[in-house]
Amino acid sequence: MKGKSSKLGHIIRNIVVVIILLSATGLFVYIFVSAFKPIDEVMTRARFLPLNPTFDNFYRILFINTPSRNFLRFISNSLFISLFTALVTVIISALAGYGFSRHKYVGKNTVMKLLLFVYVFPTIILLVPMFRIFSDIGIIDNYVSLIIIYAALTAPFCTWILISFFDSVPPSIEEAAKIDGASSWVIFTRVLLPLTTPGIITVIAFSFITAWGESTFAGIFIRTSMKNTVTLGLVDFTADQYIEWGQLLAGSVFVIVPVLLLFLPVSGNFVKGFLSGAVKE
Amino acid sequence: MRKLRRQTRVSLSKYLYILPLIVLVLFVYVYPLIRTIIFSFYKIPFGQAVGEFIGFENYINIVNNFEFWISLRNNFVWAFANLVIQLTIATIIAAFLNAEFKGKNLALSAVLLPWIIPTVAVASVIRWVLLPHLGIVNVILQDLKVIGQPINFLSTENAMMTLISLSSWRFIPIGVLLVLAAIQTIPKEIYESTRVDGANSIQQFFFITYPMVNKMLWFTGFIIFVWNFNILDLIWLITQGGPGMVTQTLPIMVFRTAFRTMRLGESSAIAVIIAGILVCVGIIYFSVMKKGEKE
Repeated sequence: MKGKSSKLGHIIRNIVVVIILLSATGLFVYIFVSAFKPIDEVMTRARFLPLNPTFDNFYRILFINTPSRNFLRFISNSLFISLFTALVTVIISALAGYGFSRHKYVGKNTVMKLLLFVYVFPTIILLVPMFRIFSDIGIIDNYVSLIIIYAALTAPFCTWILISFFDSVPPSIEEAAKIDGASSWVIFTRVLLPLTTPGIITVIAFSFITAWGESTFAGIFIRTSMKNTVTLGLVDFTADQYIEWGQLLAGSVFVIVPVLLLFLPVSGNFVKGFLSGAVKE
Repeated sequence: MRKLRRQTRVSLSKYLYILPLIVLVLFVYVYPLIRTIIFSFYKIPFGQAVGEFIGFENYINIVNNFEFWISLRNNFVWAFANLVIQLTIATIIAAFLNAEFKGKNLALSAVLLPWIIPTVAVASVIRWVLLPHLGIVNVILQDLKVIGQPINFLSTENAMMTLISLSSWRFIPIGVLLVLAAIQTIPKEIYESTRVDGANSIQQFFFITYPMVNKMLWFTGFIIFVWNFNILDLIWLITQGGPGMVTQTLPIMVFRTAFRTMRLGESSAIAVIIAGILVCVGIIYFSVMKKGEKE
């Protein structure tokens, strides 16, 4: 009797989990398969799967350029910005994460808590003043401005991720190095960093993804169409009088796929870091 | 003496580790916040370096602008609807994902996808997905006989609800994560012993899970409210606040005022009002939490 009810419970749970998964991923699957639809299927009553799948949309968005549109170039612009953001972020947050994990500071707890407030900071407030500040410095329409902003958007969170990774390394490991007279810097670079590689990779993935997908700051700071990021390329499509949905779907796939490739391998660490920040509150 | 000096140097050099982060946060969060507050008292023509000090005139203009009140109301409707939907569904999903089952990690990663995948990738094609006659959503709903006539999801009547659904879909993953973390802090023995006493899953949820995760639910609710309150990109990319003003929230108004009508001072004043509202929300949240701790 009891076995039967728990078996039923099991089945119900499985069904619910499948429904949850379908609603989380269904739209992406649909975007992905639809990118292979020829133009006439895109503009008729929708079917889930393409009848005559084609690479036409991908070919056209990548290789048919206009004076203001060069999608391959946009992709490489975004790659450049995202890689640099990841680099800057990982350096800043690894240093800070190590500092907070291993050193005592005046007002350390307050500062660490204030870092969490960045989570709830309304970024809309930053748009106007950052535009002015970057205009004054003369880095509007320059990727440096975007890299600074993106690093600032991700570094506090990444620092929290790395604090949790550094904290999980027992201090006894560095004691030996300390006795041998190693400086704090040597311990950081030679002992702790190699032990926290998964955390470093997670931070790189997260900051890359954030920079890769951002469009609001990019839309304001980038003025020259050839400097557009991949997301701005997509936004430009939607502003056209006649929207080419097929190409837009293919473009959307180009934005989604790198995120999937980077995110799925590290999602576990990612969850861990997010929660360690949130639970400490 | 030399040793002492060396020690102070070492103790100061440790600050170098956190210095870059602190500088970055001061430069990109604190300094702009101060600039915004100052801007909000100035009239600043676009592209001009200095403006003219006008005291509270920007604020007076805003309060007398009906657009502000509509945006404010929309913003609260938007944030509260998102809060209720996201918190409820996230809690239910977390309760289901709490058990150990095959492929749980994969399931968790999949659940996170709507949050990690860039908004633009979805927002740019969602109008096609939701097209009244051709779009897949209408086709499915019609085939299942849920609706007779195709729905225009982005019409004046429906746009707000459509955007709320999309935002919920996007942010539920975070809610799930937070609630799940809270549930997992509950010792498993409690479930086992009450199970022996004959409690079923639903009773367990209401009498064990819920009270123990209550605090985390409040925290999750706070985060969800603030994040949704601040959302700009999802709304801007899909409706730009329209049709008319039905989906215009305060962040949209800030953006529009600054970069469409180029009134930077007024835009800054609205931004300051947003910050003020959020500070109030924060104070309410923390005082409720404090009160809860005392009891």
